[in-house]
Amino acid sequence: MVDPTVSLQAAPSTVLVQILILSSLYALVALGFTLIFGVGGVLNLAHGANITIGAFVAYVVGVQQGLGGFAGLAAAFVVTGILSGVYYLGLIKRIQDEPIMVMIITLVTAVAVEEAIRFVYGSQPKVLGLLSGRINLAGSTVTYTQLFAFALSALLIGALFVFVNYSRHGKALMATSMSHKGAALVGIEADRINLVVWVAAGALAGVAGVFLATRQGASWAMGRTPLVLSFSIVVLGGIGSIRGSVLGAFVVGTLEVLTVQYVDSSLTGLTPLLVLVVVLLLRPEGLFGRELVEA
Amino acid sequence: MDWSIPGMVALASASDAGDDSDATDTSDETDGTDESAGTATGAAGGTPLLDVADCAVSYGKVSALRGVDLTVGEGEFVAVIGPNGAGKSTLCNTVSGFRDYTGSVRYHGAEVSDQSPRDLVQQGLVHCTESRDLFGYMSVEDNLTLGAYRANTNVDERLAFVYDLFPALAERTGQLARTMSGGEQQMLAIGRALMGDPDLLVLDEPTLGLAPVILDDISEGIEQIQANGVTILLAEQNVTFALRHADRIVLLENGDVVRRGSPEELREDDYIHESYLGG
Repeated sequence: MVDPTVSLQAAPSTVLVQILILSSLYALVALGFTLIFGVGGVLNLAHGANITIGAFVAYVVGVQQGLGGFAGLAAAFVVTGILSGVYYLGLIKRIQDEPIMVMIITLVTAVAVEEAIRFVYGSQPKVLGLLSGRINLAGSTVTYTQLFAFALSALLIGALFVFVNYSRHGKALMATSMSHKGAALVGIEADRINLVVWVAAGALAGVAGVFLATRQGASWAMGRTPLVLSFSIVVLGGIGSIRGSVLGAFVVGTLEVLTVQYVDSSLTGLTPLLVLVVVLLLRPEGLFGRELVEA
Repeated sequence: MDWSIPGMVALASASDAGDDSDATDTSDETDGTDESAGTATGAAGGTPLLDVADCAVSYGKVSALRGVDLTVGEGEFVAVIGPNGAGKSTLCNTVSGFRDYTGSVRYHGAEVSDQSPRDLVQQGLVHCTESRDLFGYMSVEDNLTLGAYRANTNVDERLAFVYDLFPALAERTGQLARTMSGGEQQMLAIGRALMGDPDLLVLDEPTLGLAPVILDDISEGIEQIQANGVTILLAEQNVTFALRHADRIVLLENGDVVRRGSPEELREDDYIHESYLGG
């Protein structure tokens, strides 16, 4: 997913700009996944489907309905958040104590979403745009859309970080991720926290889907690579750690840009998989490893 | 102060060997004689804050509690003692809304099964569990602050109260809970429970695995909590500790209440003396 305009002879500043842009997008991709796993203790294999839905909601609203890219972005944020919340209430909440069942159900959901989108919109990627034009940044040519994606990703990640670390309800969310029983003992309602997490994760995935679609087009299978990326980033950073996920995203993003820069651009897809295997072998608890939920 | 539990090993051995005839005999003998001593109205003269009647809990086919009767009046300190597997923690979890049961468990006159643990916390029933269930990757202060999540109370005042009670916590406000010693974690768990401004504090095995010097600190803390008028239901294997603090004692064995009475009465009881106080 690295910008192909980065040449093999790009200056270090150009590489740095690409790393920042790509890594912030990856962090946005992975955060919803880590939130759901960290707090609810379940693997949401439909995370990629949320990303795909976000991209196609933006396409329908922004392109088909002609309301523009930003209306599409806002619609993606709202619709994926609501859908994710409804999905939790209608299905996941009933089976959340059975992790294998959740994995199967979310995997089935992911496949069903992909097939439905392919059936309705076909196999050809749909072009999605937000802003036109480019800017020269530290010697690197960056599109306004990329710059906006970086800024909004940083803003959303920062807002999430402030929320969980400094607000009463955010601390309740983190507490639930550490001990469901402990949370219940102080009167925190885990189901309500889980609902908030699924809505937030869905909304973040929807926005990530729009930004990914502006780079590569919206396609029915576009959620697969982000799901693998999320696995790698979350395992690298430490399962359940928001700070770790952001750092993990920057490690994966940096490796991917450097692979394009100094090795071979066709190997970019292998980078996150390689990271996943190496981390699982050498440091399975991740860089900021944290205990799983003590349900 | 000697906090050892000399009789526990002998009793557990007898139980493991399948010899439960003594327990059955003592149950019959005691329930007939000391029933009035086990009621809050008898001991404190008021309406019970907690009223457990004919309560039974099962794990599949295994009965953990069988027809347990227990009352705790406002301001009282009631200790439930007994060996491992007696049903003490099950009783605590049932009272605080974490276990399904048959029979009746009423807090402030309302059936516990009709309420969620969150509702009970909001009404002042706060449980400090045997496993502590702290938020390990959060600081001492964050753990304590979250203890007041549902309480309508002044957080700063409660913090000052807890820090006064356990000065060791005041010196470690920024330390992660998981990096603390067992004794400090126990203080933190009790402190977090107190942040909820409890009417009824359920303490499950607060002395488990703690060094004697730490037990003294915990003991002093519990005395101060008691002096502040908090009603306490203590589940405890350490009989010496329970006898020192409680107004009334209930002995639970294999899910049955087999003795109940005041600490003075139970100190004189031959069975208690031989089985739990080392003869």
